[in-house]
Order: sequence, then structure tokens, then C-alpha cells
Amino acid sequence: MTAPRLAAVAAVLVLAALPSVLSSYAVTVFIFIFFYAYLGQAWNIVGGYAGQLSAGHAAFVGLGAYASAMLSARLGLTPWIGMLVGGALAAALGALIGFLGFRFGLRGFYFVLLTVAFAEICRIVALNTEAVGGALGLYITFTGDPRHFQFQDNRMYYYVALALMLVATGIVAAIERRRFGEYLKAIREDENACEALGVNTFKYKMLAMVVSSFLTGVGGTFYAYYLFSLQPNAVFGIPLSVEIVIRPIVGGAGTVLGPILGSFILSPLGEVSRVYLSQGSWSGLHLVVYGVLLVLVVLFLPEGAYPAARRLLARRAR
Amino acid sequence: MTDRIRWPKLPRRAVLKGAAAGAAVLGFPLPLRAQAPVVKIGVVHPVTGPLAEPGQACRLGATMAAEAVNAAGGIKALGGAKLELIFGDTQTKPDVGRTEAERVINQGAQLLMGSFDSGSTAAMVPVVQQRRVPFLVDIAAADPITANVAKAVKEGQQKVQYVYRNFPTGSSFGAKAVTYFSEIFKEAGVAPKRVVLMYCNDLFGQNAAKGFQAGYAAAKPGWEIVDVIPWPEPPQDLSTEVSRAKAAKPDIIAPITRPASAQLLLPEIRKQRVEIMGIVGPGSPGLYEAGQLAVLKDDLEYVMSAVPWANFKNPRTQKVAEDYLKRSNGKTFDTNSGYSYDGIFVIADALERAKSVDPDAVVDAIKKTSYGAGLMQYAGPVVFNEIGDNPNAVTTMIQILGQKPVAVWPKEAALQKFVFPRPKR
Amino acid sequence: MDLTLVGQGLLSGLLFGGVYSLMAVGLTLIFGVMRVVNFAHGDMMVWGMYLAWLLATRAGLDPYLGFPLCALALFALGWAVQRGLVHRIVDAPHEMQILLMLGVALVLENAALVAFGPDPQRVRSELRSATVWLGPLFVDVARLVTFGVALTLTVALWLFLARTDLGRRIRAASDNPYGALVIGTDVARVYAVAFGIGAACVGAAGALVSPILPFQPAGGLSLSVASFNIVIIGGMGSLLGAFVGGLLVSLAESLGAVFLAPSMKELVSFSLLIVILLFRPAGLFGKRAT
Repeated sequence: MTAPRLAAVAAVLVLAALPSVLSSYAVTVFIFIFFYAYLGQAWNIVGGYAGQLSAGHAAFVGLGAYASAMLSARLGLTPWIGMLVGGALAAALGALIGFLGFRFGLRGFYFVLLTVAFAEICRIVALNTEAVGGALGLYITFTGDPRHFQFQDNRMYYYVALALMLVATGIVAAIERRRFGEYLKAIREDENACEALGVNTFKYKMLAMVVSSFLTGVGGTFYAYYLFSLQPNAVFGIPLSVEIVIRPIVGGAGTVLGPILGSFILSPLGEVSRVYLSQGSWSGLHLVVYGVLLVLVVLFLPEGAYPAARRLLARRAR
Repeated sequence: MTDRIRWPKLPRRAVLKGAAAGAAVLGFPLPLRAQAPVVKIGVVHPVTGPLAEPGQACRLGATMAAEAVNAAGGIKALGGAKLELIFGDTQTKPDVGRTEAERVINQGAQLLMGSFDSGSTAAMVPVVQQRRVPFLVDIAAADPITANVAKAVKEGQQKVQYVYRNFPTGSSFGAKAVTYFSEIFKEAGVAPKRVVLMYCNDLFGQNAAKGFQAGYAAAKPGWEIVDVIPWPEPPQDLSTEVSRAKAAKPDIIAPITRPASAQLLLPEIRKQRVEIMGIVGPGSPGLYEAGQLAVLKDDLEYVMSAVPWANFKNPRTQKVAEDYLKRSNGKTFDTNSGYSYDGIFVIADALERAKSVDPDAVVDAIKKTSYGAGLMQYAGPVVFNEIGDNPNAVTTMIQILGQKPVAVWPKEAALQKFVFPRPKR
Repeated sequence: MDLTLVGQGLLSGLLFGGVYSLMAVGLTLIFGVMRVVNFAHGDMMVWGMYLAWLLATRAGLDPYLGFPLCALALFALGWAVQRGLVHRIVDAPHEMQILLMLGVALVLENAALVAFGPDPQRVRSELRSATVWLGPLFVDVARLVTFGVALTLTVALWLFLARTDLGRRIRAASDNPYGALVIGTDVARVYAVAFGIGAACVGAAGALVSPILPFQPAGGLSLSVASFNIVIIGGMGSLLGAFVGGLLVSLAESLGAVFLAPSMKELVSFSLLIVILLFRPAGLFGKRAT
């Protein structure tokens, strides 16, 4: 085994061993690190590698979450299968958005707005539809029963979240190695040149979008069965889309480890700044710090933390 | 041309050492110190974000209540143990809510109180059920929060219910409001026929509106809801909505607002010269707070709203309200601060009777609660039913008279007589 | 079909459109010139509102008189943001710029929260309650004034860009930054001024709107989204587009409130946005992308 592979295996083993020494609070922090890294990794496929910025990925989270929650409540369908149905529905929405965006030649900021518009429409429709609970949303009963994709022990959620993150990372790594990944990166660099060379950019972008939205939809089920309530503003809203996008961008969009690194940087940062800076009349100061840090990262580490770290280590190795 | 993944040559030992250090910080419990007995209560509210205003009110209410309990000698059954509050901020986000619940429990919280918005509160339910921490919901309207746990216990999926709520549920708001409407019209000797319901289309507004309409359907009163007009919250413009209301020729406008939408709605009603007998709200924020009065002034005069309210006939309440006014820089002691205040006292009362901090003993004591010294207006002592809610938590019809919110109905709670229909301008 | 209601809906929608237009003009200028997506737009507007509020409560200055001061303050902010932050990443990939402005938005929103608290505020102005009645229809004077100012501002801005030297240089730098550099234009300075002007517009918008709209720190996000909607529909980079777009979006939402449930009125503007994005992404008045 090569050194990098060994490092990866060691890291996974360490992560797997952590819950036995961590408090439940720390386990929860890690769960959210893994979960948001998973969503970021899913986004990475279409946003990082293919370069098609989507600021509406919350739509897929919401769709997957509501689908599996409703199927469980109305038909008693176990969320283990419901998550696949939710993912499929999200993939269908992704295909629609992708089709409209790519067929009509929307690029860059225009594509961003298209995704935002769809997410907002989903949010407003859910808000006004009695059948899915309207603004009140859906509340899931906590049973702690694994058949309901719930666990009495917080640590089980840790392993599920870790597994999700590893699976998504594996998929991204596989994409990176294959020609599919090459095509996506080429499209990101210069789509016009690709088309001129006869590459079917539409097909590859669509594929990236569908895979990305499917994975994100599956994540929606985890959200539902970890937080036990779904409200349209929380689960379809722009703030969630921002949380999804921020991690790969800060960590390094279009790289395999970027979303993970980004999540490991941003989640603890949010924790620390909320816990230590959110007292009394200074409430809100921690978000100011968050924003300032974001600005600093963008100014001084524009490709993301991971490529910068890589360069730093490469220089040190010389 | 392939680009193989080039893994960084990170010094593995450094990574592992760092992780271990971090884990130690996060994992090991706080060092024990010899000190006076203390009961730690986690108090988690949205003190930042869109609900920061009520969230901060809740935190202040809880703080003042804990100080009062401690000044009176703490929990005598536990050797004079003082209440120590560990604060958390949900930022109105469910994931943060869950994390904060875990964090305060990790810091030693033996009980939990919170958390105002139903999303964060629902996210905390599994935590308290997993960790066996009695959880008193001081404010949150969504019925399923307690109902779901009660159901899980009944069906044997959970052993004990750790979640209890001392606040009117969303559905009870509406039913009570319908009753108040009919009673007030009868008492005033007038018979308005046409009521237009207008509400903010967010969680609170939709829930309250549904409850009001359900109550109306069940009661079949002598008046009719002729139009229902929801608006997106927060709105930028309500002129068309008010035009629509005016076109329905209302006798009464029944608004369910938030502070921001109230600031748009009420002046608009005046500007468009909608001729009505009165503005009577089924119950919402935005129609009585000091901040709102400062901004809306005359537009709020004679407006009524059926809200959970403090019992100002109680001299204790008046004293606390005065203190609160000072400490909060001029805010009214209202629903939010009030229920959080009472929540701490309900917890203290349960601890006295439980004589221990063992979760199941505390839960037993909570179930047997019959606390009559609350500062809020109740229809009886604070008790908890099989679902875990307090059926005696009710609303009071208040009216802005002389630029102050005053309880006007029911009679036993009224400090002044209501003015209805409102005088012509 | 209540004709009065429909008529009032049209009138109210048209007048409120002035508010929307004012918001959008600044945004379209910034994007049109520098291709910068100002995600902090709504939060800058909220700061304009709070500054107007400060002037009204501390100095007794009516916002209809004080808005130039707010514009000036926001000009300085915009200039600083461009010069200090955006300019550094002018060559970086698109995501970086979006992220940067998002960071600025976070800082602005929460600085306002720390400084002013979370409660919604509104500015008192003499004009606030004035109405003029045309038969059964009423005209909100405050909105009429805002409409008038929006129109004047748009025209003034257009004249500035078309007729003045600086304006021409801004247009040149936006059409062809490299070419502008070649002929010796200080592109960095031009961009900073343009951003400053865009921010000044939105600062003025905030001040003028502060008696009409209740504002709170958390409100910036929805204002940003609404502004983007308008600017895309009207056409990025086109002043006329921003103005007409504002009227159009407001009219559509108002009619949506009349005929559908008012809580769905945002659905109308988002659907309109999607239609425009698909069939005419340059918007109604934007230049077609080559």
C-alpha cells in the first residue's frame, strides 16, 4: 500500500474509534461535520468538477427529506428504502433543472439564479401545501427504532454519517480517476473549447447533475431522521444551500478532499464562535467573525484550503 | 492525460496527536470541584437570528426567575441547591438547536428548558429522550412536539416521556379566540357579521389561522369568516392584501401578525380607510410590544389580541414586570419572558417534590405538578395531561388602551373594560 | 370580478414598483460594469435604512431630506469594498467573488444586529400617512414620492453614464477593461467609483423606503433575492431594464395577490424569472450575450 493510501486508512480507523472516547456533544459536532461534508461532496460533483454552480441544492435535500418522511408516515415504508425513493425524486428534479439550464445554454450566474429560483419555488409550494404540513411542516416521532432509520444511541448516527461521507468521497474519487472526471474538468475549464472538439457537454453535465442531486436527496433523509422536523424555510431555504456550498468552496472545489477539509474547518469554527462569542448584547458578533473569516479565506486562499495546503506541503518537501 | 490523486504527505503522527488532544478537550467531563450543591438547567433559546427578540426575552425571563428562586433559598429539598443556568443559542436552526442541547447536557445540565421555535425544539426531543433529561418546553406551539413522544411511549417504543410543555398548543389558541370573539360581541351588545382573517404565512401564523378556522367550524358562531388572506412573511408590501380585505366589506379584521408585518398592516388599514368595528386578533405577536407601540402609536389603539398573557392582578407579577422593564431597557413583561419565568419556577417546584435530580424521579414529580403560583394567566394550576401539555395554559384577550396593553377579557382576568366597537376616527 | 380591487392592485403595484426599481438600479450598475454579483446588496440597503433611522431619531432629519447623506455613506462603503476586497480577486474564479460578497453580507447583517438589535424599526416621516383619493382608488403619497425619486435617479444616472467624462470611462471599462487599460484608464479607480455609485443608489433607496418598509437586520437576504429577480428580468446592466423590471415584478406580484393567495405572490415573480432565464436571459432590455 502506498503512503497516501495508508494515511487514508489510518484516518478512517481513527475516525471510527473516536466515538468511544468522545462525549455525546462532540459526537454530535462530528456528525454535522460529516453530514455537511457529505452534502458538500455531492455538490462538488456538479459544482466543483463540472463547474456548474448551483445555489439551490437545498431543493434536493428538502425533496428527499419530505419524500421519505411522507412515505414513512402514510405508507409505513422504512426510510432505508424511502431514502432511495427520495434520492430518485431529487434526481428527477435535478434532471429537470439540468435540462432547462443546459439545453437553454445558461451558464455561470444565470445558472445560479435558475437553481435559486427552483429552490424558492419548492419552498413556497411546500409552505402553502396543506398535505405536506404547510408552514408547520412535518414532525417525526422519535422511536429510536433502527427500522425507522432512527437510533437510541447518538453514536450510531455518527457511523451512518461517516459512512455517507466516505461513500460520497469514494464516488468522487472514482469520478476523478475516470474519463468522466476528465470531461467534467475540461468542461469547467473551457466549455466552448470542449464543444468545439465535439464533446457532448450536455450529456456529461446532465450526468453530473443527476448523480449530485440523487446523493443530495439521500442526504435529505438523514436530515429528516436526525432532526425530526421538516419546515419549508429550513429545509428548502437559501441558508441551507449556502451551508452546502461553502464547505467545498473553502476547502477546495473540484478536489476529492476539499469538501471534507472545508467541513472540518467551518463547522468547528461555527461552534467555537457561537459558544464563545454569542453572549448577551454581543449576540451576532460570532456571525460577524464567521463572515470576516470567509472574506479572508477568499482573499488569501482562493482555490480553497486543500490546494493551498497541498502546495505548502509540497514546498516543504523540497 | 490523467491526473492521479496526489495525497498530501501529512505527518500522520501530528494529525493523530492533534485529534487526540481535541478529543480530550471535548470528551472528558469537567473537573469536580468541592462547592455548594447546584442544579444545572440548560436554557436554550434563539438569541440570535430572526427570532432574536423573543429569544432574548425568554433568556432574560429565565435568568430573573432563577435569581428569584436562589434568593429565596434555592431548592430546599436538595439542601438549598442553587439553580445554575447554562445558556444555549439555537440561532433558530434545528441542527444548531440539537447541538446546543447536547452541549449544555455535556456541560452538566440535568434539566433542559426551551426553545421557542418548534423546529429546534423538535430536534432536541431525541436528545433528551436518548440522554434521559427532563425537558420543559416553555414556549413552542406545534402540537406534535409532545404528542409524538406520548404516542411513542404509548406504543412501547420509548420507555419514559421526558418532554413536557407549559404553553398553550397551537390548536388551543384558535378555539379560545373564537369563544372570546363571541363572548365579547355579546357583552358589547353588537352583532358584527363579517370577519376577514388575515395572517402571516409562516409556522406560527398558519398554525394559529388553522386553529382559528377549526374553532370557528366547530363553534358555528353568529358571525362569518368571509375571506382569508395570507401573506408571505416577512412582507414588503401589504397594500393589495388590505385592498382585498376592504373589498370583502368586513365588520372586523382579524389579523395574525409578526412585528414586521404588523408595522405594515395597521397603517395600511388606516390609509385605505377600511371602515370596521374593530381589529380583533386571534392571537399573535406584533400587536402589543413596547417596540411596536413606539413605532405604530395610534394605529394600535383599541386593537385587541388573544395572547398568552401575564396575570397583572397578581402583585408579584407587577413587581417582576417592573424589574423586567428596567433590565430589558423598556420592554414589556409578556408571553415570552413570562412563560420562561414561570417555566423555571415549575421546574423548581418539581425538584422540590422530587427531592432528587434523578431523571425518572423528576419526571414523576412533573407529571404530578399542580403549581398555582404562576405569574401568567392560567385557567387553573399548572398541570400536565397524558400528552404532556398543560390544558390550563390559556390566552387572554388584551386591548391597547391609552397606548398600553391591558387585559380586558375574560372578566376574571380583566383589569379594564374593553372598548368595542372602536370609536370612529 | 371586483374591478375596483383589480384597479387598486394595478395602481398599488405600479407605485410600489418604484421602490423595487430603486433597489435594482444600484445592483444592475455594479453587475453591468464589473460583472460582480453583489450578494451584500440587500444588507447594504438595510444599512441605508438604519442610517436614515439614526438621522431621523438623533438629528431629527426627515429621510426624504436626509437620503443624500445615506447615499454618501454607502458610497464610501461601496468604494471601500471594491477597492479593498473585490479588486483583489478580480481575476479569481467566479465562485470566489460570490463567496466574498456573501462574507461581506454576513458581516453587514450581523454588525447591524449587534449595533441596532433585532427588532423591526420604521422611520417616522410626515409623508408616511398621506393619501390622495382618486374616486374609489387611493394613492399612497409616500410611494408616489419614492416612485418619482426612482425615476429621477434612473434618469440622472443614465445622463451621468452617457454624458459625463467619468461616466464614459466607466462604460468603457465595463465594455472592454483591457482596452480601457491600454488607453490609460485607471480601471481600478473607475471600478471603485462605479461600485460606490451602485452602493450609493441602494443607500438612497434604503433611506427613501425606510418610512414605508419595516426593516430589521435579518431582512437583507430577501431584499437581495428580490433585487436579483428584478435585475435579471429587466436585464443585467441596463438601467432602463432595472427600472421597468422593478415595475413589472411589483405589478406581477400585486396581481398575483389579487387573483391567487397573496402568500403565493413570490411564486409569480420566481416563475417569471425562470421564464426569462430560459427564453431571454439577457432580460427585457439587456444586451444579448455574444
